Amino acid sequence: MKQGSDKNSSSANTALEQWRKQVLRKKKIKNARTLVRISLATMAAAVFAVLFLMPIVLTITNSFMSASEISANYGQVFATTDSGGKMYISEKVNLKFIPDMVSFSQYITVLLKSPEYLLKFWNSVILVVPIVGFQLLVAAGAAFGFTRYRGRVKEMIFFIYIILMLMPYQVTLVPNYLVSKWLHVLDTNWAIWLPGIFSPFAVYLLTKYMRRIPVSMMEAAQIDGAGEWQIFRKICMPLCKGAMCSIAILIFIDYWNMVEQPLILLSDAEKHPLSVFLSKINAGEIGLAFAVATIYMVPPILVFLYGEDYLVEGITYQGGIKG
Amino acid sequence: MHFYMKRKERKKKTGSSPRTRRGKLVSAGYLLPSAVGVLLFFVLPFMIVIYYSVVDNPISGQFVFLDNFIMVFNNSAFRQAAVNTLTFSAVAVPLAVVLSLFLAMMLESKIPFKSQFRTFFLSPMMVPIASVVLIWQVLFHYNGMMNEVMGFFGADKVDWLNSSYAQVVIVVLFLWKNLGYNMILFMAALSSIPKDIIEVAVLESAKPNQIFMHIKLRYMSSTILFVTIMSLINSFKVFREIYLLKGEYPYPTMYMLQHFMNNTFGRLDYQKMSAAAIMMAVVMVIIIGILFLTENYFGKDVEG
Amino acid sequence: MNEFMLKFIRLKNIIFISVMLFILSAALSGCGKGDGAGDGRPEYVYVPEYVEMDMECDYISCLASSGDDVFLSVSKWDEETGFTTNYLYRYNMNENKATRLSLELPENSDVSGMAPGADGSLIMIVNNNTFEMDEEGNVKDSKSIMEIWKVSMEDGSLLGSEDITELVAGKSDYAYVQHFCVDGQGNLYLSDGDNCIHIIDKEYKKVCDIDTGDWINNMAVSKEGDVYITSYGSEGLQLKKVDLAGKKIGDSVAGAPSGYGTQSYYTGVSSSLLHSSAGGVSRVDTASGTVETLFDWLDVDINSDYVNYVGELSDGRIWAITRNYEISGSATNELVFFTRKPSSEVPAKEEILYGTMWIGSDVKRNIINFNKTNQTYRIKVKEYGNDDYQAGLTQLNADMTTGNCPDIIGLDGLDYNQYANKGIFEDLYPYMEKHGMDRQDFLENVLEAYEVDGKLYGIVPCFQISTCMAKTSLVGERSGWTLTEMLDFVEGREAENIFDYGSRSSIFYYCIYNNIDEFINWETGECSFDGEGFIRTLEFAAQFPEEYDYNSVQEEGTSSKLRSEKILLMQGSISSVQQLQMMRGVFGEEISFVGYPNSERQGNLVQPTGGSMALSAKSKHKEGAWEFMQSFLSEEYQDSLISEHGGWGFPVRKESLEKQFEQDMKEEYYEDEDGNKTRQPKTTWGWDDFEMEIYAATPEEIEAVRELIASANKTGGNVDEQLTNIITEEAEPFFKGQKTAADVAQIIQNRIQIYVNENR
Repeated sequence: MKQGSDKNSSSANTALEQWRKQVLRKKKIKNARTLVRISLATMAAAVFAVLFLMPIVLTITNSFMSASEISANYGQVFATTDSGGKMYISEKVNLKFIPDMVSFSQYITVLLKSPEYLLKFWNSVILVVPIVGFQLLVAAGAAFGFTRYRGRVKEMIFFIYIILMLMPYQVTLVPNYLVSKWLHVLDTNWAIWLPGIFSPFAVYLLTKYMRRIPVSMMEAAQIDGAGEWQIFRKICMPLCKGAMCSIAILIFIDYWNMVEQPLILLSDAEKHPLSVFLSKINAGEIGLAFAVATIYMVPPILVFLYGEDYLVEGITYQGGIKG
Repeated sequence: MHFYMKRKERKKKTGSSPRTRRGKLVSAGYLLPSAVGVLLFFVLPFMIVIYYSVVDNPISGQFVFLDNFIMVFNNSAFRQAAVNTLTFSAVAVPLAVVLSLFLAMMLESKIPFKSQFRTFFLSPMMVPIASVVLIWQVLFHYNGMMNEVMGFFGADKVDWLNSSYAQVVIVVLFLWKNLGYNMILFMAALSSIPKDIIEVAVLESAKPNQIFMHIKLRYMSSTILFVTIMSLINSFKVFREIYLLKGEYPYPTMYMLQHFMNNTFGRLDYQKMSAAAIMMAVVMVIIIGILFLTENYFGKDVEG
Repeated sequence: MNEFMLKFIRLKNIIFISVMLFILSAALSGCGKGDGAGDGRPEYVYVPEYVEMDMECDYISCLASSGDDVFLSVSKWDEETGFTTNYLYRYNMNENKATRLSLELPENSDVSGMAPGADGSLIMIVNNNTFEMDEEGNVKDSKSIMEIWKVSMEDGSLLGSEDITELVAGKSDYAYVQHFCVDGQGNLYLSDGDNCIHIIDKEYKKVCDIDTGDWINNMAVSKEGDVYITSYGSEGLQLKKVDLAGKKIGDSVAGAPSGYGTQSYYTGVSSSLLHSSAGGVSRVDTASGTVETLFDWLDVDINSDYVNYVGELSDGRIWAITRNYEISGSATNELVFFTRKPSSEVPAKEEILYGTMWIGSDVKRNIINFNKTNQTYRIKVKEYGNDDYQAGLTQLNADMTTGNCPDIIGLDGLDYNQYANKGIFEDLYPYMEKHGMDRQDFLENVLEAYEVDGKLYGIVPCFQISTCMAKTSLVGERSGWTLTEMLDFVEGREAENIFDYGSRSSIFYYCIYNNIDEFINWETGECSFDGEGFIRTLEFAAQFPEEYDYNSVQEEGTSSKLRSEKILLMQGSISSVQQLQMMRGVFGEEISFVGYPNSERQGNLVQPTGGSMALSAKSKHKEGAWEFMQSFLSEEYQDSLISEHGGWGFPVRKESLEKQFEQDMKEEYYEDEDGNKTRQPKTTWGWDDFEMEIYAATPEEIEAVRELIASANKTGGNVDEQLTNIITEEAEPFFKGQKTAADVAQIIQNRIQIYVNENR
């Protein structure tokens, strides 16, 4: 293509042509450097990747170890006595990626022998899914409200949202207990759902994204006669789809790991999610913990694999408009 | 562009028409459900916290004005917690920003398996906290892996979780968990820097570090601030990992403000917890305020 | 865009907003309706009605119900003849009429099972034991026969019998039946409570044996005529159907009540089965797996510990037969009917909430008595610690601070000292004064143990002294020692262990935990866990096993080890004069109550044995709550605590304690044939390898007890689990030889320092 244009070049273009060749030569030298740089970067990335992946891989592989193998490997760290008073202590810690013998005994215990784990898993689903769905819904509305017709009052409210978002949950846990009691939702799932649904976190993120949609775009639509609903539905929602997905992943992971809220707000241990059980697991059940953790990881992994593109896309869009 | 300009002009003429007012009202309506919920489940509880902070205890409810604040401020555990939390955030947040930017640049330099690497770096988000803690214990326990490895090289055993090294361990833990997400944010920002600007810079023989400092960083300033805020939020969440590692009373260098609040909560000293929370909120308002002002300043700079 | 479209868009706006509002309002109100049962009274309540059973009966050995008739096999002790006679009664529940049936059991027989047969007769399992005596009157040979008797329900005449000894006993020579049922077809199910069910048909021919795999906890026949058993699985008790056709045990019934503790099933009338547990009574439908809770035992003033049988009548009433034990040890049978009534018909009483981690039997009995007699107030119980102690504690704490505090707080299992300083409890001295109670009537030091700044925050009706004993010849005459003195003493001797079954944790409990404030100066906030005392204790404890191996063979008993000084100390509680007498016997010489190491040499602790409780400062029913609480201090109740042979703790009221002492000092005699009075032992007490006859106490012994009681002026606080956790966790590397004692002490010091700073 370029050669074609060279043929037809006039003398006026010769200077430019020479300059272009110069650049191309520079680029070649650069290409060699780039190759070195890329391979270095790849190696570095690989090292990082190994470090980052290790815990997840360990959790999964260790879940296929039998209880005795686990205690033989980690006895020094999680020294414990079993019911018979025998000590499980090994001489060395042994971080092993591959079990000596693949054993499904932990899974059999978790999945078949004691239905409580599955029940608690289901509790987790019941608690988390409505929070994710409705928090997004409520947040979408709120973010739209914050985006349209910005004024001083709205900015103030938005700032309050940010401060509330940053408060550690311990601070409002007791008052939340009071409020739940007052609303007669204590010890029901609503006590977890309601504060979750109205959490300011998603509002903050979504507002951040939505405000990057050019005002002119909405105004143009408005001039064309679109109402607020149309602007919301036809402009904001499609543009924020990726962002919503990425926020959903964040919320999901956050609530999937909740521990304290159920402990305080749900006195009935049968309603507790699996995360509470996982956090209370004691030294004698390490093997079980790995199996439960692995099972517990499945939904986040699925959500992740399914939503990763949205996650990236959502963020990219944000950057795109900004740039 | 021209098209929009025209629209804008027309809009100005109809500036405060009844329609705009109705629009304002409707948009407020969109905000309403969230506002009511936040009022009920966040603002109201916070008001109760304020009430707790000025009474001697929630049971007798006697007004003591600022006594609790003075008491908490003079409490050496609180001071230690505040110092630890500040130190941690001051170290971990910048590190999280710089390292994730580094990772993002690494992935953006056209390396193979980019998307796979991206997924790998994000994987820590998926691991349940409890099993993270198990693994971390295996690694950093006195008899753990790290010491085994160091012993192999002839180094002395270090009691990672019960010495000043504890802060290092939690910084590493924090980075491990949060770099992935931050990296994604940066990757997005990097890829959206207009290519023509960089090309022009290259043509004008700008050095790579010049391009980085003057173009890339400037274009990413708002992302950097966003990442900083997100990292700050997440730096407060590291408490849960420490808590699961070492319980309510860890080695003093790991003792965070959330420990203080969590423990005073557990011991029914709500007035202490509330006073601490409000002091924390005030500091937070200041920090966030500064960040916002900075964002506004830089944001305008780039856009303008 | 036309007019119509605009309108449509506006409509959409409205719809969206209304959907959002709907979510909000549904969230706020709808859920409130659904689960708001916690407040207000339920629509229906069960009202108890107590009935005297007109029967000659001391003990009910077996019971079977058929329709509204109940058959009872009872025994009656005849004081004059000294013989026990067995009777069979038919009791009509509708008429409350008992009819004695003519059936007579032979001598040395007892009924071990009874059930209505399929043909309208009553099936009984009768064991007959015959003894062959030799010339001197010793049992030479015993023989046990098990028979099935078929008895007429009308008059109790014997319709037939069959020897089933061999069918049931199999190879063993002893037939025993614990559970017995007859199913709808008339097959007999017998089980010895182990893991085998023998099934016999109407003709008394063996059908099969079914192995259940687990111990059978309970067996019952449902309304439909199927037999169910319960056995323990991983999730507590499971209800399973016996599958006769498949000759096996079916899968557990989903939805049936699970959990641990006492649970029984009975044949239902309006549902398959009736279920009774420590909590209450419910109907179970086995087909759908649904459970309908009828009532809680405490709400109908019944002590669930006493419930023997439960049944349902055709008119929907529930009945229960309880066996009520008095503190004195005697027991009576009582029949109670529970009738369902709309709560509007039942006069409402003011409710007082008694909150506790778990309820003790004495408090439970008092609550039931109070509820039965009091016209104004009714005590409701909330047990927080049933499932998970830590979660329960969090709940209780949250309730206390958010104004939902129970009116009365049972202190058992709580760290009293932690709460006393928080303004949660009401000072009880003004209440005592107001109701004319003189605090001088009660043991000052016990009151003092529950005092903070001259305010009384808890009452203890009876108590024991938690202490540690040693030979006076070894430790000298003393009533306390410091940690250094104690360690010096022990380390100077070549003993095997300091306690019998001594382990690291028990040594920590002895040396540190019971007086942990010794290591913390709350005034200055300084801790001394890195000090000599703690490090020495660590090194000392390292000699002992982490956990005592209870499986190891004990060659010697505690007493003999103490006497030979292989062990030096004995921790224990003194709850009666007799116990002190026995302990002196165990040591074989004079003993000193050195207690727990303490710098003031005052290491004996007051430990409540019959509950301890506090009044909430926020209670709205303080007067009513106090009315209940003061009943524990009343002369009548305190005197009822006096027992012949001790063991339940000392009453806190001085006069009652004196009466107890008088009782303890009263000699017992028996008259021989010649009319000579001979001194005889009051009782026999034993400990491990040791046993002794206890005679009336001497004034010297009484004095020793008095001194011991007076030496205790603190409660044994439950040490905060946080602290024990830190110490256990960090001391471990030292015990394993990986770190020095000083190193781990430093870490413990650092971590506990945070705890102390925070709580100052």
